[in-house]
Amino acid sequence: MSMMTAAEIRQQVERFLPQVSKPNRYLGTEWNSIHKDWDQTAVHMVFAFPDVYEVGMSHLGTRILYHLVNSFPEFVCERTFAPWVDMEEKMRDRDIPLYALESFRQLKEFDVVGFTLQYEMSFSNILNMLDLAGIPLRTAARTEEDPWIIAGGPCAYNPEPLAAFIDFFLIGESEEQLPQVLKLIEEQKEQPLGRQEFLQRIAQVQGVYVPELYEISYKPDGRLEKISAAAGVPLVVEKAIVTDLDQAFFPTNPIVPYMEIVHDRMMLEVMRGCSRGCRFCQAGMIYRPVRERSPEILLTQAEELVRSTGYEEVSLTSLSTGDYTCVQPVIREIISKYGPQRIGVSLPSLRLDSFDVKLAEEVQKVRKSGLTFAPEAGTQRLRDVINKGVTEKNLLEASETAFKAGWSSIKLYFMIGLPTEMQADLDGIADLAKKVADLGSKQGRRNVKVTVSTSSFVPKSHTPFQWEPQEGMRSLEEKQQYLRAKLKDRRIKYNYHDVNTSFLEAVFAKGDRRLAEVLERAFRQGCRFDGWSEQFRYDTWLQAFAELGVDPHFYAHRALDYDDVLPWDHLDSGVSKRFLMEEHHRALRGTRTLDCRHDDCTGCGICPGRGVQVDLKG
Amino acid sequence: MRARIAYSKLEESKYIAHLDLARVFERAMRRADIPVAYSEGFNPHPKISFGSALAVGVEGEKEYVDVELQREMDIGEVLGRLQEQLPKGIRLLEGRVMAPGSKALMAVLNSASYRVRLAMALPITSERLQEALDSWLAQEHVTYSRYSKKGPTEKDIRPLVKSLTGEIKGEEVFLELEVEVGSQGGVRPEEVMRSLRELENLPLDLDSIYIKRTGIYVSYQGQSFSPFEHEDFEPDRSKREAR
Repeated sequence: MSMMTAAEIRQQVERFLPQVSKPNRYLGTEWNSIHKDWDQTAVHMVFAFPDVYEVGMSHLGTRILYHLVNSFPEFVCERTFAPWVDMEEKMRDRDIPLYALESFRQLKEFDVVGFTLQYEMSFSNILNMLDLAGIPLRTAARTEEDPWIIAGGPCAYNPEPLAAFIDFFLIGESEEQLPQVLKLIEEQKEQPLGRQEFLQRIAQVQGVYVPELYEISYKPDGRLEKISAAAGVPLVVEKAIVTDLDQAFFPTNPIVPYMEIVHDRMMLEVMRGCSRGCRFCQAGMIYRPVRERSPEILLTQAEELVRSTGYEEVSLTSLSTGDYTCVQPVIREIISKYGPQRIGVSLPSLRLDSFDVKLAEEVQKVRKSGLTFAPEAGTQRLRDVINKGVTEKNLLEASETAFKAGWSSIKLYFMIGLPTEMQADLDGIADLAKKVADLGSKQGRRNVKVTVSTSSFVPKSHTPFQWEPQEGMRSLEEKQQYLRAKLKDRRIKYNYHDVNTSFLEAVFAKGDRRLAEVLERAFRQGCRFDGWSEQFRYDTWLQAFAELGVDPHFYAHRALDYDDVLPWDHLDSGVSKRFLMEEHHRALRGTRTLDCRHDDCTGCGICPGRGVQVDLKG
Repeated sequence: MRARIAYSKLEESKYIAHLDLARVFERAMRRADIPVAYSEGFNPHPKISFGSALAVGVEGEKEYVDVELQREMDIGEVLGRLQEQLPKGIRLLEGRVMAPGSKALMAVLNSASYRVRLAMALPITSERLQEALDSWLAQEHVTYSRYSKKGPTEKDIRPLVKSLTGEIKGEEVFLELEVEVGSQGGVRPEEVMRSLRELENLPLDLDSIYIKRTGIYVSYQGQSFSPFEHEDFEPDRSKREAR
């Protein structure tokens, strides 16, 4: 690909921009966007989100890291996103390389391209973006002229399928780690070391994982034999962690796009981590321990956010905001202070047992929105297996109060294919949905609407269910059809996820380095935007597996042994493997494990020796 | 207090879609600490209303917006504070306080002028261009088919075009047109260009089209007024008086 200058790229793009959908995705001139002088900055990073603009711009981590890097005078951080298919076609037709929105410089001009790994189904987009940028896909094919290709985010806890393409991964929370990495890259620019020497050096930073310094060997039956680390690098890479959320960097001047994005509002991160211990949930394991942010800091941030963005809504975000110990006073304060300016509050991820209808009512004073509950399983038995500490009584009481308070539509999220699931659990989903709908009708609501959504269980690394197989696709489909028939009720709407997508997600969630060939082949055959149902090409994926003789079922449908070497055994979330095993045992016995915020320490292993602890402000 | 503001929407801001523009103004007003009035009801929305929509990618030299404020403010201060909070390319040009009950922009704006620039797929002479425009204008009806999700719809676009002139500069054609806008749905400049290419065989390269709306007006008895002026003559009243 040609070395087009920023001015040439801009000129060419502007010529066809009126003809592509949502041109504002590709401009980078949004309110609060940061345009730094290239020549006055030592390290140039571009943050790459492997999905469309409106998805990437909604992601809080992206907002934090963009402003964090730019807060250093010596660094610049720009942004790039996966161009939608119409834009990609026009760019490829004209040989225009992928560029960073702020400067229109192509990615090749940068020192670092940082991808975020939010979802396995975005992996093909990473290859596509590298290809569009004219950067060789494989680390082995790149030279010192190419940028460092790095990646972080939740899927970096099992990044093995991407090991051939990414120079190094950042495991854990990057607020302190990323600036250290960029500092080392600055030094590397000034006094270059050889690749190996530099990678050895960067591998000393907390949470940095350099895949080429680790060798994987396999047994004849395909299982892993051994993971060995090169001399001088840690045998196990432990995640980076922020010890005090009040001290952590948080931007109060986020970018305000000129088009609607998925989460188009201010975000206040009220806490990090969740210790409820749902056994399927990777986020609940890898973001431990729970660390809350002080109300005073949140209110100061809210004030600055209102002034700098002008947004009409603020969302209190975390994995489980109802559990934040100061949620009530913070909401009250925000509403009394900003209600007159017509600023509303929204709470994502409400939970049934912590759900306080008063809370929701206060939130609704200014703006109306729907209510969503996630019981996840249909019976108490299965909820105990997954350690979802919610009872039917919780759900019904919460629903009844919600209907009484004026809501008429409720969404219920469930999973199917969970370990030990039986017929009774499916029936339980249908029964719960009907009971909720009946409560609404009993309250005299005429337009009762209960939306039931089921996703298919995907076993994830670093969870108690990492040893579990995913249920077969045919059987999952039968369950969906069964529920569809059982949920025939004009008040109930049933949605379910495509099983092929869930299957591929499981393959990559538990995959290893041998999937690189498949990923590259699928991308070459046109796979991208796999998370978008209208773009997903399942047959192309199957063909890639078949042609390369790789069996996807080996990854998704095989139960693992406790003594198996797992592809991610050298990556440590801080929660010990022993604890995960114990939790897996307890799951199969249907024994609950309580939340360490309110009960005894569960011995998960995160706190000792890391200088962190559960930090509650209420 | 109701304020009518004229602004230009040029450069990158031409990509801000009409529906998003209201949010851009709402957020800019909040940042500027200008208290916008909100509608009553379940889902209150800010009282910000625009004239006729400008298509994505089309620049506007002088567009209008009405905003209602919760209290009286100096119009100069409103313009000054708001300008600082607006995206690059949106320049406030002029503002006036409107009488309570004056008609909405949508109700009074009825014509617009455009400047269009296109490349030629083949070189043509000025005479050839003039012939084509004359011939097109000489028709009484020009049917144009639009394709939407609901299928094709046909529309007579000729009566909506009030004037159409053009000249050739170098390898490009420059056209000026004046069209009717309004609740009946107007005609888009690119539709006129497509029609010229099809009916008059003008070799226009439609991919290269650049469009700017040069103005939007209240037309009355062959004269064009700005929506700032229209209250001064008030067509309804003069009609009544004439009778």
